Amino acid sequence: MTETTAPTRRITAAMAMAEAIAIEMRKSEDVFVMGEDVGPYGGIFGSTTGLYDEFGPDRVIDTPISETGFIGAGIGAAVEGLRPVVELMFIDFYGVAMDQITNHMAKIHYESGGEVNVPMVLMSATGAGYSDAAQHSQSLWGTFAHLPGLKVVIPSNPYDSKGLMASAIQDDNPVLYLFHKGAQGLVWMKKNPRSIAEVPAEEFTVPIGEASVAREGRDVTIVTVSLSVQHSLDVAEELAGEGISVEVVDLRSLVPLDREAVLNSVGKTGRLLVVDEDYRSFGLSGEIAGIIAETDPALLSRPMRRLAVPDVPIPYARSLEYAILPTPEKIAAAVRDLMS
Amino acid sequence: MITEIPFPLSSEDDPGAEGVVATWFVDHGSPVAEGQLIAEAQLDKVSQEVHAPVSGILYQYVAEGVGVAQNAMIGRIDS
Repeated sequence: MTETTAPTRRITAAMAMAEAIAIEMRKSEDVFVMGEDVGPYGGIFGSTTGLYDEFGPDRVIDTPISETGFIGAGIGAAVEGLRPVVELMFIDFYGVAMDQITNHMAKIHYESGGEVNVPMVLMSATGAGYSDAAQHSQSLWGTFAHLPGLKVVIPSNPYDSKGLMASAIQDDNPVLYLFHKGAQGLVWMKKNPRSIAEVPAEEFTVPIGEASVAREGRDVTIVTVSLSVQHSLDVAEELAGEGISVEVVDLRSLVPLDREAVLNSVGKTGRLLVVDEDYRSFGLSGEIAGIIAETDPALLSRPMRRLAVPDVPIPYARSLEYAILPTPEKIAAAVRDLMS
Repeated sequence: MITEIPFPLSSEDDPGAEGVVATWFVDHGSPVAEGQLIAEAQLDKVSQEVHAPVSGILYQYVAEGVGVAQNAMIGRIDS
């Protein structure tokens, strides 16, 4: 009988993010939110929904469209001891604020000889798939992971969305928190059921720098992050029916990177596919290849594969956009190819 | 006791407008607690959360994405 079962609380990834921020704001007056449309609108991708109603305009601050200004203000607040959670609406807009992000947010701790902390979270929306074109669809996590001084976390599901946000706010270092618009569980986006899941109502954390084996398997390892984790899990289920056992490693953090988790999985399966919605060259997929090559190329029983965005801007036309994205169909084809 | 759950009124100007249950957060035939988020109802580009009015077992009348009139019943809770 179902009557004896306790109700299961399921929420979207967006709700999970906002819930984590709310818990930290209740715990400490030092935590506040700032960005474009984070107030009454609740964040255009739902990351701050409900916060304005609970905490009001002094702690949930709508800013003008000046990324340099409000990211700089966040850095200033952080070095003075507050814990700002600043939203950059699209990661693509980093360009105008790159000096603030990489020369100040990322380097003040180092430049001050460790005397000054920057306990700040910069959260931003990434990803493509809904015809938002070349300046609103990029992933770019490889760019920020490349530049020293920032932690970079990227959840793929509601549980990690909440736990990584809690860890990011509690961390004394600057953390870049990147969430995929297509993994937020928003009603107006194409939505994978994996974006809605059971999440504990109480506080918990997910450690920064620890990958997760999202699915165990024997034959092929997929190392990936963000929305591509959801695709890879769907593909793994599909291929299980063909007798192919796929292990999915969700990196969850790029900085620090859990190299052990990658090596352990590849050591077990001997076959590796890296799936990355970021650009192919000079990025995550090459970094994973480098880790294998430097440690023990003999871990691989055959050459690894990379499935990433070819080095072109994200197209607007839907057919062209999906031609360059790492879709489930392409992931499945790459796994079958590794097994052939 | 049976408590039916209506699609929330979103457009008073156009009471005949149809919306959709964009997301069911609780599976058909699963237990819910009073006040728990059970659905997100969407009409045009506005979405509203639907919370359980009572505790019990939720039964869905409509699938996600299927057109439904405002104030039409989208499910029930048996308690």
